[in-house]
Amino acid sequence: MAKSYVQLKDSEVEVLKKNGCRAEDWKKISAAAGFNPELVGGTYMTGEVKFGALSGKVKGADGVERPCGVFRTNLNNVTMGDNCCVMNVQGWISNVDIEDGVIIENVGKIICTGETSFGNGHEIAPFNEGGGREIKMTNETSSQIAYLTAVYRDRKEFISAMNKIADGYTNAFKRSRGFVGKEAQIMNADEIVNVYIAEYAQINGAKSLVNGTVNSCKESISFIGNGVVAEDFILQDGASVKDGAMIFTSLVGQGTKIGKQFSAENSVFFANCEGFHGEACSLFAGPYTVSHHRSTLLIAGIFSFFNAGSGTNQSNHMYKLGPIHQGTLERGSKTGSFSYLLWPSRVGAFTAVIGKHYANFDTVDLPFSYITEDAGTSIITPGMNYFTVGTMRDADKWPNRDRRKSPRKLDLLIFDVLSPFTMQKVVKAIDICGKLFEGAAKDERFVKYNGIMTNRLGLKASKRYYQLVLDKYMGDTIIKRFKKLNPSNIADILKAGTGSTVDAEWVDLSGLICSKDRSEKLIADVAAGKIADMKALHAALGTIFAGYEEDEWNFFLRTFKKINGTDITPAAVTKIMDAWKEASTKLVDMVLVDGSKEFEEKTRTGFGLDGNKDADFEAVRGTFETNKFIKKLQASKNDITADFDKIKAVTK
Amino acid sequence: MASTLERIQKVTAELLGVPAAKAIESAKFVEDLGAESTQSIELVVSLEEEFGIEMDEAGALGVKTVGDAVKFIDAALAKK
Repeated sequence: MAKSYVQLKDSEVEVLKKNGCRAEDWKKISAAAGFNPELVGGTYMTGEVKFGALSGKVKGADGVERPCGVFRTNLNNVTMGDNCCVMNVQGWISNVDIEDGVIIENVGKIICTGETSFGNGHEIAPFNEGGGREIKMTNETSSQIAYLTAVYRDRKEFISAMNKIADGYTNAFKRSRGFVGKEAQIMNADEIVNVYIAEYAQINGAKSLVNGTVNSCKESISFIGNGVVAEDFILQDGASVKDGAMIFTSLVGQGTKIGKQFSAENSVFFANCEGFHGEACSLFAGPYTVSHHRSTLLIAGIFSFFNAGSGTNQSNHMYKLGPIHQGTLERGSKTGSFSYLLWPSRVGAFTAVIGKHYANFDTVDLPFSYITEDAGTSIITPGMNYFTVGTMRDADKWPNRDRRKSPRKLDLLIFDVLSPFTMQKVVKAIDICGKLFEGAAKDERFVKYNGIMTNRLGLKASKRYYQLVLDKYMGDTIIKRFKKLNPSNIADILKAGTGSTVDAEWVDLSGLICSKDRSEKLIADVAAGKIADMKALHAALGTIFAGYEEDEWNFFLRTFKKINGTDITPAAVTKIMDAWKEASTKLVDMVLVDGSKEFEEKTRTGFGLDGNKDADFEAVRGTFETNKFIKKLQASKNDITADFDKIKAVTK
Repeated sequence: MASTLERIQKVTAELLGVPAAKAIESAKFVEDLGAESTQSIELVVSLEEEFGIEMDEAGALGVKTVGDAVKFIDAALAKK
């Protein structure tokens, strides 16, 4: 309910005057019940100023309790809620609504210059620096909404409808007054112009914030810290931007951290990204895109579940028609220190890129690979990266590092490493490796594939690696289904799942893995106007997300049939589980061998500067046997046996 | 007929470009003979082709020295 304000009594005006306050027109100054004029001093007021109740104290994030009141401040057309603490505003607070319990302290100015959408509707140009993939950012832009808008540009009706949805949201969000939500805290900031600051947000030491929204809520507080310069921006709840970071025309997603002088332009960062020290330009940073080190530039690319090594760089400019080239690293990829990629290139999921690459290649159908460089030649070792301790650890850590505390998660995330998205590629990769190997002459050491070289003999091993991955996935999926339905007989679960049954390709909509018939239906519904607002769009994406398990089961059944030419039977389940047990055990053994390399003699080289190398190493790094992750891996062998026995029991 | 060691030495020398005599039993493939991680896969398949066997992936990754390879391959040949 709107608060009721009444014009100040003469006695209240007299107290304010006594306290050094001035007003252009005292008749325009009003207050709510509980207002105490003794708690207002040294304040100059113009236009309509409305005070809330003033009593008690409010506690800052720094732990200091401040008495409520308004001191040494200039107010123009300001409405205040109850029990705020506003002091030392050297410039003005102008055209702003301030809710209950807000702290504003040592601030240059907080002003609203007229009607604004606070960054909503502002166009960002991610993925291609030359433009053509613009997203109209809003508070509601999820990684899926951004991905569909940036990627499906040839669907003109769809793009037009998506822009209309964004416009609809933006128009509804427009205001002519600034806003500072309940219990927000703004301290030591220089200028804040046309910024919507949602409840519980904390701003401390920001240099300049212009045209933006800081979404925040009690469960998921957003923070803007020292020296931050931000223009045309949106922070989603739980985001943090601090330490002199500069963000221009960018969206910072839920739980994302930007800091340590990172700079970003025309970029989007979705859930749980981290950007420190480096630079982003036209970056589409899907969920969990991480760049921690200096001189790393991520430009004109789509990434997700990605880790950039220091000095990672890409070129998108051939000095011909401008910065028009772009590239993708599919989910789970990473780049080593000083890696370089020449766009356009596409790198398959869960691939490690090491070295400098001047070839334009496409390895999306060879996931879980190593891409290395030897004397200027780019070489791919397909399938090897699945069996590294790094990939295994990544898979383990992402779900556990979800910083989103908000009850509403905007980005819909499927964390599975082995999923229909990666497995459709693994099935293709088995075929590709086989054909490349068989088609190459025996005296050829390397074979060319989509712009990159691969070792002929290595292809034989790669094919086996991919088969192990496939065997693991097939068994994993049966176990998942078994645990969901808990049947007394395996035959009971071998029928199709509900939902999508179309034999479609699977796509990764920046975190949401889904069958393409699902995403195509959504695109068609949006284009046809059946989905016409933000709420309906999120609901439709939510339906796809909720249908993942059933769709995945159907994918599994189709994949089995494609490989074997028949429908699955209980007898086939027995074979799948036998292969699964062998593959899972091998996988753990291979990852353990890989993990053991972290404890080998050569990794101890940097230890024991003044002697006692082994003791020093063990004091700092521990031992293979006591390593937490290694122990977990070893224990997982028991789980393999237990799961295997459970399925066997119902297949008899 | 050449021994297992001699055949491993021949394959190693061809692949890694080192003198066969350097591939003594105590020589480590990575530290002493300069095998990079991707070359180790090529080496495994080369040895498989040389001996007509299929090497267990996890076991093969655990082979560190030429001597380890001799034991590993002899065991695999014995199982054939």
